[in-house]
Amino acid sequence: MSGITLHDIRKAYPGGPEVLHGVSLDIRAGEFVVVVGPSGCGKSTLLRLIAGLERCDRGEIVIGGRRANDLAPQNRDIAMIFQNYALYPHMTVRQNIAFGLELRGMPKAERNARAEAVARTLQLEAYLDRKPGALSGGQRQRVAMGRAMARNASTFLMDEPLSNLDNALRVAMRTEIKELHRALGATIVYVTHDQTEALSLADRIAVLKDGHLLQFGTPAEIYDTPADMFVAGFLGTPAMNFLPLDRLSPSPVPPGRTIGLRPEAIRVHADEPSGLALPAKVLLSEMNGAELILHCETDAGRVTAIAPRHEFSFHPARVWLGCDMSRAHVFDSRTGLRLEHAAMEV
Amino acid sequence: MKPDNPILAAAALVAGLLFLSPVLYSIFMSFQTADAYYRGGLDFTLDNYGRAIGQYHFARYLMNSLIVSGCVTVIALTVSTMAAFAFARFRFPGGDLLFAATVATLMIPSHISLIPNYLTLAKAGLLDTYAGLILPAISNGFAAFFLRQYIRGIPRALDEAAYMDGATPLQVLWRVIVPLSRPAIFSMGLYVFLTEWNNYIWPLVAIGKDDLYTLQIGLARLYRVNPGEGLVDWPLVMAASTITIIPVLFGFLLVERHLVRGITMGAVK
Repeated sequence: MSGITLHDIRKAYPGGPEVLHGVSLDIRAGEFVVVVGPSGCGKSTLLRLIAGLERCDRGEIVIGGRRANDLAPQNRDIAMIFQNYALYPHMTVRQNIAFGLELRGMPKAERNARAEAVARTLQLEAYLDRKPGALSGGQRQRVAMGRAMARNASTFLMDEPLSNLDNALRVAMRTEIKELHRALGATIVYVTHDQTEALSLADRIAVLKDGHLLQFGTPAEIYDTPADMFVAGFLGTPAMNFLPLDRLSPSPVPPGRTIGLRPEAIRVHADEPSGLALPAKVLLSEMNGAELILHCETDAGRVTAIAPRHEFSFHPARVWLGCDMSRAHVFDSRTGLRLEHAAMEV
Repeated sequence: MKPDNPILAAAALVAGLLFLSPVLYSIFMSFQTADAYYRGGLDFTLDNYGRAIGQYHFARYLMNSLIVSGCVTVIALTVSTMAAFAFARFRFPGGDLLFAATVATLMIPSHISLIPNYLTLAKAGLLDTYAGLILPAISNGFAAFFLRQYIRGIPRALDEAAYMDGATPLQVLWRVIVPLSRPAIFSMGLYVFLTEWNNYIWPLVAIGKDDLYTLQIGLARLYRVNPGEGLVDWPLVMAASTITIIPVLFGFLLVERHLVRGITMGAVK
């Protein structure tokens, strides 16, 4: 196990703009860190820099207490799972898994035994003598994991490893990856644009946007106290509602404030309640198991709310929306930054 | 595989026979005596093969051709594959210029380099040696260009996966790129081997000793064997020609199974 420290990492590709603008991260040994952000935010580049597949223009990468900027990938004790798996098509599953061990000079019998043990863990025993072309997408993904696991590396890098799988397999593999992390105790840096994956897998999440690190914290911290409107809107399904504060509050409020309400912080009433509530016209109603996701139009703007399905007809025409203000977030409309404790003052 | 359309199958058979007919005729002719050939009769003999191998040293020429073409093929493919890997995968100062120069060599007719090559090898004392036959052919711009284009089609993620597994660049080339480029390397190998096998001008210029002659030079010398005034011993020439094509046929059959497509199936996604 080794920790990874990134200090003020900057990277631009030849002839292109800067992709990473001074990213600093301190990943503890054995930690599962998910780097999340929209396409093009620089998360894969960050992973490739840690792997040694790219060189940073400025900054310092420290792996296991050792400066790694000038270390070749093979000398970093890192295993990587690629988004497209990158299996060697001319080798069998056994050879794919054992290739890294062979390059390190492990005797054939020993490396075959290790490959078989890994294959057993990943339920790949029956496919050991097949080539990747004869495997399904899920099996290939497992082989890619097996190849990384066999080496007993101190750090695993995973670049959107589940993005090519169907939903059911993705959910199953998510659990397996989490269990794998518990079993191996290795440091894992996992890149994804899927916020559900990020929230369910991570010990800590790093949110990147346009090459800037916006927030680095536990899933609960990120979800409950997002640093700004982008983080608040990016994590959570359905996304957080943003409404101008002055259109919500009956009393005068400071200008330039936006209130952020997660759908679960909004109470939906079929009839007008006695307290403060916004009348809303339901534009679209989506069934989501035990709940209804209601997309509504109010005087303050569009709002998405979650209602228990058994209390409402499938597509109610009109509802009233009440807010739990203790769970509201207030943001500076201009900078997008979250204002600490401001919600209670409203 | 059964043909779907009998008319097409018949047409293919006729076309095949048309292409084969000169070869079949020359093989047929090689078993005739010169006398019978010029008389227009039929007189079966194996003597032409015996004479070509014994009297006219075709066993020696065959060995020389195999040594020269084999060495050129192996060395040219090694050099071209390494150059192609470098051009396809690495960015280095002057790399683009070097590649442009490699491609530019394709535009120079080979005969232009005859005299400079001759003078260089004469200065190095390599005329009338195997090295003198092999060295000028080992840098092959077309092979480097062709293999570079093929390697560029191999997902770069495979190289990166190998680097992460602990491979050095040479191991990536040898363990990943070369096995995946097998169809291209074997196609190019066949091309280089045939080009060298059929090479006539350079051995003619560079070699003056009988025991270093290649098959093509030996063949040309057979035109001087006269069975009569102003006549060429065609059955003898055809027997020698048959000896010349047999190794190539075997080589092709050996290489054919490697000329398969779809070898990277299952690598990514």
